Amino acid sequence: MFKFLQQVGDYAKGTVQAAKYIGQGLSVTFDHMQRRPVTVQYPYEKLIPSERFRGRIHFEFDKCISCEVCVRVCPINLPVVDWEFDRTSKKKKLNHYSIDFGVCIFCGNCVEYCPTNCLSMTEEYELSTYDRHDLNYDNVALGRLPYKVTQDPMVTPLRELAYLPKGVSDPHDLPAGAPRPGKFPQDIIEATKAQEDSEKDKAEAAQ
Amino acid sequence: MNLAEGVQIVSFGILAALMIAAALGVVLFEKIVYSAFLLGGVFISISGLYILLNADFVAAAQILIYVGAVNVLILFAIMLVNKEEVFKPISGRWIRKAATALVCVGLFALLSTMVLATPWNLAAPITAPESTLILIGKHFFSDYLLPFELASVLLLMAMIGAIIIARRDFIPDIEAASSDQPLQTVWRLPERPRELTPTQGSSNQRK
Amino acid sequence: MNSGIDLQGTFIESLTDMGISPGLAKTMWIPLPMTLVIIGATVGVLVVVWLERKISAAAQQRIGPEFAGPLGVLQPVADGLKLVFKEDIVPTKSDPILFTLGPILVVIPVFLSYLIIPFGQNLVITDLNVGIFIWISLSSIAPIGLLMSGYASNNKYSLLGGLRAAAQAISYEIPLALAVLAVVMMSNSLSTIDIVEQQSGYGILSWNIWRQPVGLLIFWIAALAECERLPFDLPEAEEELVAGYQTEYTGMKFGLFYIGSYVNLVLSSLVFAILYLGGWDFPIPLDRLASWLGTSEDTAWLQVVTASLGIIMTILKTYFLIFIAILMRWTVPRVRIDQLLDLGWKFLLPVALVNLLLTAALKLTFPMAFGG
Repeated sequence: MFKFLQQVGDYAKGTVQAAKYIGQGLSVTFDHMQRRPVTVQYPYEKLIPSERFRGRIHFEFDKCISCEVCVRVCPINLPVVDWEFDRTSKKKKLNHYSIDFGVCIFCGNCVEYCPTNCLSMTEEYELSTYDRHDLNYDNVALGRLPYKVTQDPMVTPLRELAYLPKGVSDPHDLPAGAPRPGKFPQDIIEATKAQEDSEKDKAEAAQ
Repeated sequence: MNLAEGVQIVSFGILAALMIAAALGVVLFEKIVYSAFLLGGVFISISGLYILLNADFVAAAQILIYVGAVNVLILFAIMLVNKEEVFKPISGRWIRKAATALVCVGLFALLSTMVLATPWNLAAPITAPESTLILIGKHFFSDYLLPFELASVLLLMAMIGAIIIARRDFIPDIEAASSDQPLQTVWRLPERPRELTPTQGSSNQRK
Repeated sequence: MNSGIDLQGTFIESLTDMGISPGLAKTMWIPLPMTLVIIGATVGVLVVVWLERKISAAAQQRIGPEFAGPLGVLQPVADGLKLVFKEDIVPTKSDPILFTLGPILVVIPVFLSYLIIPFGQNLVITDLNVGIFIWISLSSIAPIGLLMSGYASNNKYSLLGGLRAAAQAISYEIPLALAVLAVVMMSNSLSTIDIVEQQSGYGILSWNIWRQPVGLLIFWIAALAECERLPFDLPEAEEELVAGYQTEYTGMKFGLFYIGSYVNLVLSSLVFAILYLGGWDFPIPLDRLASWLGTSEDTAWLQVVTASLGIIMTILKTYFLIFIAILMRWTVPRVRIDQLLDLGWKFLLPVALVNLLLTAALKLTFPMAFGG
């Protein structure tokens, strides 16, 4: 009899607990309604890709020495380097170079290891095509100047959240030169240099 | 004859025709699903007739119980076990059909003679009661108390039976556990023995 | 309590004055409120679809429809137009008759239920004796349509979805009816008008929300299940059943399901507002306010104000409930089918029965407060 009542009590407690959790959940959802939408109206507004964004790879034909390091460091040996040995100059002569971006995983190893820096990352990410073979870029396509969000007159470039000034969360209508929070690398270098200089001065003064 | 009476007669005609057609469909359709759906049509037309007879509560209850519960359960049963089967043509099937038709016609004749023989009191104008609900309630708890309660007891019995059938897995067999020889208890419902988990030998056999 | 504006009476009177027989005048009146309510229900659906998209967007920190009309209010119209002009495909090996009949059977009962929804003392199509009971019984027809469309699509997902929908509908019908019964017991009538009347008098204090807190929750849960709203939307659970019984539907047949589900949501919210939130009642008793201001109850302008306030209050309460339903959608995860049936049969049903018994006991002990 009393055991039964105990069960009923536990069940009721569980029910109240569940109702409480649902109420908490509702308050969370309600709270989210007052927050600013994170929407970027895409074709008209675009986020500026971050500093280390790994987009479409750019290739400079003239710098390439056909060393094939990019092929060796690539996880799937993707870049196709078509060269032949030129007997007169005793150098490798590059004929074609291509990367298939339908297969590429944008890991950036080729860019990292390229000895002549002829490979580089761009900010370009709009690569969609109607045919997947169109994604196989040859050296001409790879050598095109990358599209930049900031240079498109049709697009309002928006800064990403980490690049907004301190305390600001809306990228719209920012003043032009508003700095991002924290220090820039050159600032840090300057600061450390100044500190080192002052320490050196102090040491000299002590001597 | 004013407008209201005309509407009543027309709607009675439509409802009656619908009901007879649907009922014939229930009996004559080869596909059992069609029969079940048409049964719903029969129930709905009957509730329409109830409305014409000023029995609004009975009409609503008819829809709720027969269409909403009984017919849905029938459909459930049909859809859960619906197997398209091609039956073998039985020789002399027409005898069965003829016998069925004979019984049906006999029943129909019996009912028609009953309808014709009963002296219907059509002369006295029946005034619609203020609220059918209160009238039904009063009848339930005075002169129809016994049938009403009996019906509820019947439902209770059906429910208990359903629960026992549904939960037969959980009946503990204490006697079988205590002694090695399995005792056949009377109240135990026959159940197909479960297949044992296949061992190495049996898996070879299956091939 | 004054009876407010009697539009029907005035309409018939003015027609008879013009030399038309009373019977004919009545016949001419009949289609007017019906078309009005059907149009109102359809427009209500458009508003709810827009609200659903906007509120969902807000809850997920998005913007939602924006470009079709101001704030995207024309988006549901665009959706509807698209559905109307879409090709109507009947899949091969399906059952074309049942396939067409299914969505119709789902939609018609929902629209029929608007017969008993009052927006004011006389602003109702019919004040039936069995009022709220008709809603319960009509809503039990819809599962047949769902089973029909699920079966006729000749698709396993459709069939499973239809079966689930029907099982869900019949299991939650019972707690729903019991919760309604407790309210009906207090108002001594099934008529929606009487139920609202019984709650008027002291403004917000006399609403059933205070007298039926448990019944209200049961009703809300059961109504969400009946509408297949999110915690209970497993008939069309995307992850398991593609779209349930709607899988094979396109064009306007799909549109009928879509309209039906939203009309049903509006209807359930309306019924909730009528049963527990005092229907067209203003939170402050208006007649007292009028007598305090020193105006007679029969003043023309006051009656107009009362009637329009009544409509506005009903709609406001309804949309508040719809708002909660949408918020619920983004808060609560979907339950499993066994959890759903457990909740219906093992929790809501006993609790609803206890609630009913308690209401009866309270009615006997405090006939003043619980409707003697």
